[in-house]
Amino acid sequence: MKKLKSIETRYMEDRSRFFHDLKNLDRRSFLKVSAAAMGAAVASGVIPSGSFQSVSVAQGNAASGGSAAFRFAYISDSHLYEKKINDRFVRSLLRAVEDVNNLDPQPDFVFYGGDLAQLGQPRELELGAQILKNVKAPMKMMVGEHDWYFDLGQKWRQMFGEPTYSWDHKGIHMVTLNSVVERDFWTARGLTPMQRMMTVAGLDNGVQSPFSVGEEQRQWLRKDLAAYADETPLIVFSHSPLYKLYKKWNFWTDDADEVQAILKRFKQVVVIHGHTHQLLTNRIGNIHFHGMLSTAWPWPYAPEGMPELTIEMNRPDPFNPNDGCGDGQVHVHADGLVDKVYNLWNRGPITVSKAYTASWGRQSVPPMPNRASY
Amino acid sequence: MRKISIVSQVGFVLLYIACVSMATILAGCSKEVEVTTCDGTGRAMVAKNATGQALADGLMDQWKRDHPDRDWVTGEKERHELKPPADNSALLEGGQAQGHTYGQHDKRDLLVWARETEKFALEGSRIFHSSELLGSTVAVSCDMCHPHAANTHPETYPKFQTQLGRVVLLRDMINWCIEQPVRGKRLEPDDPAMRALEAYIMAQRSGTVMNYGKH
Amino acid sequence: MNVKKVSSNAARWTICSAVLIGIFLPACSAKAAAGNVPKGEHGAATMEYQAEALNRLLPTVDVSQVPQGFDPVVWQAFIPGDNALTPERVGLGRKLYFEKRLSADGTVACATCHDVTRGFTDQLAVSEGIRDQNGRRNAPTTLNVALLQTAFLDGRSPTLDHQAQMPIVNPVEMGMPDGQAAVAAIQNDAAYKAAFQRAYGRAVNYEDIGRAIAAFERTLIFVDSPFRRFLGGDEGAISSDAKQGWVLFNQKARCVTCHPMNTSNPLGTDNRFHNIGVSARHQNFGALAKQALKALNEDPSEQKLDQLALSTDMSELGRFMVTKNRSDIGAFRTSILLNIGITPPYMHDGSIETLWDVMDHYNKGGESNLFLDGGMEPLALTEEEIDQIVAFLFALTDNRFAQENRRQLERQRAQAQKKRPLRDNDMAFRLKLAFEQ
Repeated sequence: MKKLKSIETRYMEDRSRFFHDLKNLDRRSFLKVSAAAMGAAVASGVIPSGSFQSVSVAQGNAASGGSAAFRFAYISDSHLYEKKINDRFVRSLLRAVEDVNNLDPQPDFVFYGGDLAQLGQPRELELGAQILKNVKAPMKMMVGEHDWYFDLGQKWRQMFGEPTYSWDHKGIHMVTLNSVVERDFWTARGLTPMQRMMTVAGLDNGVQSPFSVGEEQRQWLRKDLAAYADETPLIVFSHSPLYKLYKKWNFWTDDADEVQAILKRFKQVVVIHGHTHQLLTNRIGNIHFHGMLSTAWPWPYAPEGMPELTIEMNRPDPFNPNDGCGDGQVHVHADGLVDKVYNLWNRGPITVSKAYTASWGRQSVPPMPNRASY
Repeated sequence: MRKISIVSQVGFVLLYIACVSMATILAGCSKEVEVTTCDGTGRAMVAKNATGQALADGLMDQWKRDHPDRDWVTGEKERHELKPPADNSALLEGGQAQGHTYGQHDKRDLLVWARETEKFALEGSRIFHSSELLGSTVAVSCDMCHPHAANTHPETYPKFQTQLGRVVLLRDMINWCIEQPVRGKRLEPDDPAMRALEAYIMAQRSGTVMNYGKH
Repeated sequence: MNVKKVSSNAARWTICSAVLIGIFLPACSAKAAAGNVPKGEHGAATMEYQAEALNRLLPTVDVSQVPQGFDPVVWQAFIPGDNALTPERVGLGRKLYFEKRLSADGTVACATCHDVTRGFTDQLAVSEGIRDQNGRRNAPTTLNVALLQTAFLDGRSPTLDHQAQMPIVNPVEMGMPDGQAAVAAIQNDAAYKAAFQRAYGRAVNYEDIGRAIAAFERTLIFVDSPFRRFLGGDEGAISSDAKQGWVLFNQKARCVTCHPMNTSNPLGTDNRFHNIGVSARHQNFGALAKQALKALNEDPSEQKLDQLALSTDMSELGRFMVTKNRSDIGAFRTSILLNIGITPPYMHDGSIETLWDVMDHYNKGGESNLFLDGGMEPLALTEEEIDQIVAFLFALTDNRFAQENRRQLERQRAQAQKKRPLRDNDMAFRLKLAFEQ
């Protein structure tokens, strides 16, 4: 037992060093200590499983359209409270950061899908930023309604810049929208900022208004896209799905039709959205839609309006808080279509391939669930 | 002019006002009475010879104008959609020749039933959506995973809950959720909060076919 | 199970133990604890002694009957279609269980690591095979092992019948070069020849060796614990501490999530695989996983997997070695809880000495690691509550091992009073979070 005791001791020492180093948290020391103390050594691309498996799968059979031009990872919907209030959501985001940092090769960038905070509190956003600072790849941030409706985006913008922006990456035009614009329901009711935030934070709270992109951003989008030819592949990021799924939970964008009309002239458009915390696939004409997983908790599927292309994930196990949660990657092909990887922490990863959406669900069908939602 | 302070819980304002108002009328010596709620914000002037109902309604209306968010029933219904209780209006139509006891009931009875049933479920909704009322130590409430009580499937109980290793009822799972994800204190089976939570969850699944043992 | 049945059951065992004590007093387990057990190779009791001990413990088994107190409908599901229990098969397996000739150097039998006198395990951290080699895994008990859905701690074997073949050819266990060598070792023995014919109507062969041993192990049903009698309505069967422990087990301590216990399946395991952080004490999951995939790619045989799991650091990868699924890294099947008191040390590597230490491990939420099961969280159990759960765990031992159970309880209590290496109350009570201080 002496030997075992020394391992235990070594572990304790590692951990106390970890705690010490965390005091002066910066990217380098965090990674070093987390790798040692959390037992998460950097794994190489040889590992054909979890996030790593998807590399080989995507580059091999599933893709069927040549190898991916590049890959990015995503983390979404962490819903952080302050860590003293709820440490589970914090641990989950830390895990996601470890996940993407362990990708080899590293993704071109890591996209954050919104709802970093639970109640839009400055300290929640600061905690989130502190954790995300440790992501090795460049970060791209998107805003969610939980980040926004305490101070109407003041803190978020101060920390992460404007929520609407675009850039070009390896021949693809990327656009990030703020799709969670709500019309003013609070002034007439005389709600305090916290009451407003609490209202928006309740998914089934009917007092809030439907999400929209809004005329201002649609104008911006028209202008932004004007310079691009119809053949340019587009990837659009929005927190809510850019289509109308289920209004009562704001799985919905009220002016989705107008936004889709702007995107219509392009040959290939992929929309990646957060908010729904589940496997979600849709295609409307030239636009392919993919949801992102949450690190905090999975949502049930909407009771009506489900897109036909969606192959639902098995009902999550409430006894395992990780089940149904996770992060993932997007393999972007040269033609702009994507393989979307859902890296479910408590299960194997599920890939919804380009071939699946391109064939309207006839080819490369993802694994079917046997535990449907009730 | 007389000032009457009314001490009441918000939910019982109506009842209290009605009672106090009656007393006011009986004792009244001036033409108008100003009635004030205990928080000093709700006031109404009513004629001294007004009926108790009118008096109460007047005050309640004023109070509602001042506190659009304080009538918890209205407020809760506005925030969180509740499936309405079953429509029993057929009981009022015909079929009374047999002298069935339900034949004795009138529209007001049905209103009372619907209203009381709805309030019971709404009280559950209030708790369901509040980490504070649930006693959560980690700011988690039921609706965070179960919007509109989705995925609560009360119709599948009793069933063998594999993770608990035994056959359980809905309330056992409610308690599990309260203790684990919510990290609060479990409720006694007959705790009013437990009864209300069960009421809300079942109300939301109204119309679903019972299917005990389903996984 | 009704009360009447329980009490008749209890009466039966009272008679049984009276007989046992009356006739075999000199060799009863209290004496055994004192060190009078004749020891053979690798620290195990001699095979002759063990066989006698087993005769006392389990004189005869009527295989046409469902084991006492066991749900008859559920029981049938545990018997494979091609290996129905017959007295001939059980008898043959019972003999093979003690057969050292099945090992390369004639020193190791099943009973070496699954010793009748030591809770049908070896009570060592990791087991010792031929040429005194140590494996990397803690030997699970063969008691009630027939009730599991998969065999081995990582579930790499789908059936007990298959599992029983594997140690024979593992280099650090019984070390036979192949199954044929094991067959050759006994096929000229007239008694075996006849026994195999009677049992399976065939000559001696490797698969039937596994089947016969499995058939015998299906008679090792030892579920008659004080707790089971308590479940059956005997309020006095367990102490008030143990009762409180049972409540905690189901609620605050969350044990039941992975260790379900009921009358149909009393084992206390969900048969699933969880990373609870025990192997997180060893570093470098990622590099190990890479190594494992490379090795398994080069040689995907089940023997190779068996060797890697038992003889290398890759052992720590657990279920991952079987599924190659990243979420299974460091995951092992939930232990059987029945008879847990007499099967120390604990965990897949035997790294935890007492049940108090086990509770300390869970109380602090396990060892943090990337693949930690989502159900692992700090539990905030007080010392009193830990004592109560441990009292409950010691009430899960079959009454036929009551003396060994008492001995273990006292030994572990004394040990725990001296040191509690895994206790971390700051973590348990969330004064300190896993990712900060």
